[in-house]
Amino acid sequence: MEGAMATDISVIGLFPDEQKTAAVIEDMSGYPWQIDRVHSPFPSHKIFDALKLKKSPVGWFTLAGGILGFFTGFALAIYTAIQWNLIVWGKPIVAWFPFVIVGFEFTVLFSVIGNVLGLLIQTRLPDYEGLEQYDPRCSADRFGIVVSCEQEDREKVEEFFANQGGEVRVFE
Amino acid sequence: MSETSKLTYAEIDRTVLDTLRPPSGGYWLLIMALTLGVLLGAACWTYQIFVGIGAGGQNVPVAWGTYLINFVFWVGIAHSGTLISAILHLMRAGWRNPIARAAETMTVFAVSIAGLFPFIHLGRIWVVYYMLPYPNQRNLWPNFQSPLVFDVVAISTYLIVSSLFWYTGLVPDLAAVRDKATGVRKKIFTILSLGWTGKHEQWRHYTRGYLFFAALATPLVVSVHSVVSWDFALGIVPGWHSTIFAPYFVAGAIHSGLAMVLTLMIPLRKLFHYERIVTTNVLENIAKTIIFTGLIVGYAYAVEYFLAWYSHNAVEMEAFRWRAMGDYSLQFWIMVVCNSLVPLLFFFKRIRTSIPWLLGISILINVGMWYERFVIISGSVAHDFIPHAWGLYAPSAIEYGIMFGSFSLFFLLFCLFAKHLPSVSMTEMKETLDHGGGHGD
Repeated sequence: MEGAMATDISVIGLFPDEQKTAAVIEDMSGYPWQIDRVHSPFPSHKIFDALKLKKSPVGWFTLAGGILGFFTGFALAIYTAIQWNLIVWGKPIVAWFPFVIVGFEFTVLFSVIGNVLGLLIQTRLPDYEGLEQYDPRCSADRFGIVVSCEQEDREKVEEFFANQGGEVRVFE
Repeated sequence: MSETSKLTYAEIDRTVLDTLRPPSGGYWLLIMALTLGVLLGAACWTYQIFVGIGAGGQNVPVAWGTYLINFVFWVGIAHSGTLISAILHLMRAGWRNPIARAAETMTVFAVSIAGLFPFIHLGRIWVVYYMLPYPNQRNLWPNFQSPLVFDVVAISTYLIVSSLFWYTGLVPDLAAVRDKATGVRKKIFTILSLGWTGKHEQWRHYTRGYLFFAALATPLVVSVHSVVSWDFALGIVPGWHSTIFAPYFVAGAIHSGLAMVLTLMIPLRKLFHYERIVTTNVLENIAKTIIFTGLIVGYAYAVEYFLAWYSHNAVEMEAFRWRAMGDYSLQFWIMVVCNSLVPLLFFFKRIRTSIPWLLGISILINVGMWYERFVIISGSVAHDFIPHAWGLYAPSAIEYGIMFGSFSLFFLLFCLFAKHLPSVSMTEMKETLDHGGGHGD
């Protein structure tokens, strides 16, 4: 959806509530303009549903981190144990039960690191250029629908947002 | 319906952002006093480094004193932050939203301070790298079968995970501060917020990532205090060597952490005019949770006695008799009364909705939980197997100085946080207005 078409301008319609924003997104399906992005001060499942978003793939990064961490934890404990054979009462050098704790902690640690990396990669943060076409009220009390359109469609989009009760702003 | 229903998005922003205005002279006086406390602690530690670990009161037979007591105490304090931010998030408990940020922050600071104590206890701080698994010419490695090394792994993991969780939760709010700020402040918050704009693609991944954070932090928090309990339970000392230690310690940790949340939130609520955000209902829910954890802790105290009696082991029976009637009986009864009996007062609605009672009881629980660690850690080794090896322990002035420094550091960090970063999650509060829960996926 994002950046899918070559455009001239971005028009943002600002709405005061989540319900209305979701309704406007649904109404837009009958028009030729494409929604570039929707800004909101908090995550809204109504907006997600209106945009028909798929589930985020962040979990795969988390899972990959977890698998890596699980094996790293065990490998570290086993490798260090066999480097110096500390035999106590003939008990095994590679002691699986205590190593589960190391394996578990590393699983969680690497899962979380994978999760953070996944978040950064998927959200493409840090992204300071995105602030150039952004209305700061969208972190406070406004929901902003940004439409990318050709210059000649500008008035139609503005009119559409105005008719829906939104405040309109244009990013050249 | 609660007071929260009357709030608007703009009001939430105004209330929270108002707290970030330039502080008064009183605030800087407080910061100065706390900094002096931290310096006192640092001076005591420096003295100990030069003179030796004997500057503390630990000696045979009680080699584990306030340094380990404070270590367990601060790890425990940390736990309720994760309970509130992760476990209650998974349960969609909307009442946790106003206090989640402060509790998470408390977690990060408390774990950091807890992490200092093994260093302090080590004495020869300059050989701390022996604990790290790094290749060396002697081919010596940490023993990963030791609960002390489990602890290094668990606490390090907990510190990293809770810091990342805290920062991730903070990003949308940092963006909200950035959008209202000007000048240098705007530049700082622009960098800190990573260019967050709250577009749907960001939220789509964020909600999913946050859910995984919560799902991973939940078993982690249980594992961390279980591992801390095994520092003791895997030793054969009477009073330590018990299979109930892991759940007993986890419940105790959450008990003390919830009490610390009340101790911090009640003054913060008053000073920052958060009454409409951190409502009496929120505080009441914490109090109800404290009743639950207090009952578990009380049950654990009783079960310890039952096990000692049922085992018919003379050493165990003597250890527990002495605990209640011996030299440290005062500390024991403070522990029992403050942790198990006083929280029962929260059964009365009038008490759990009264701010002075909530604050008073929360402080008593903090005191009680500190003494619980004293009774378990020092009390057990003071009176173990052989009568001629029994002995008593009292902290030295240096230990008191370091302990005072640690408390000063905790409150200093919290005061700095409260005045420079949003102490209530604006994002989650706005979400609560419409949905009543957390940003689940």
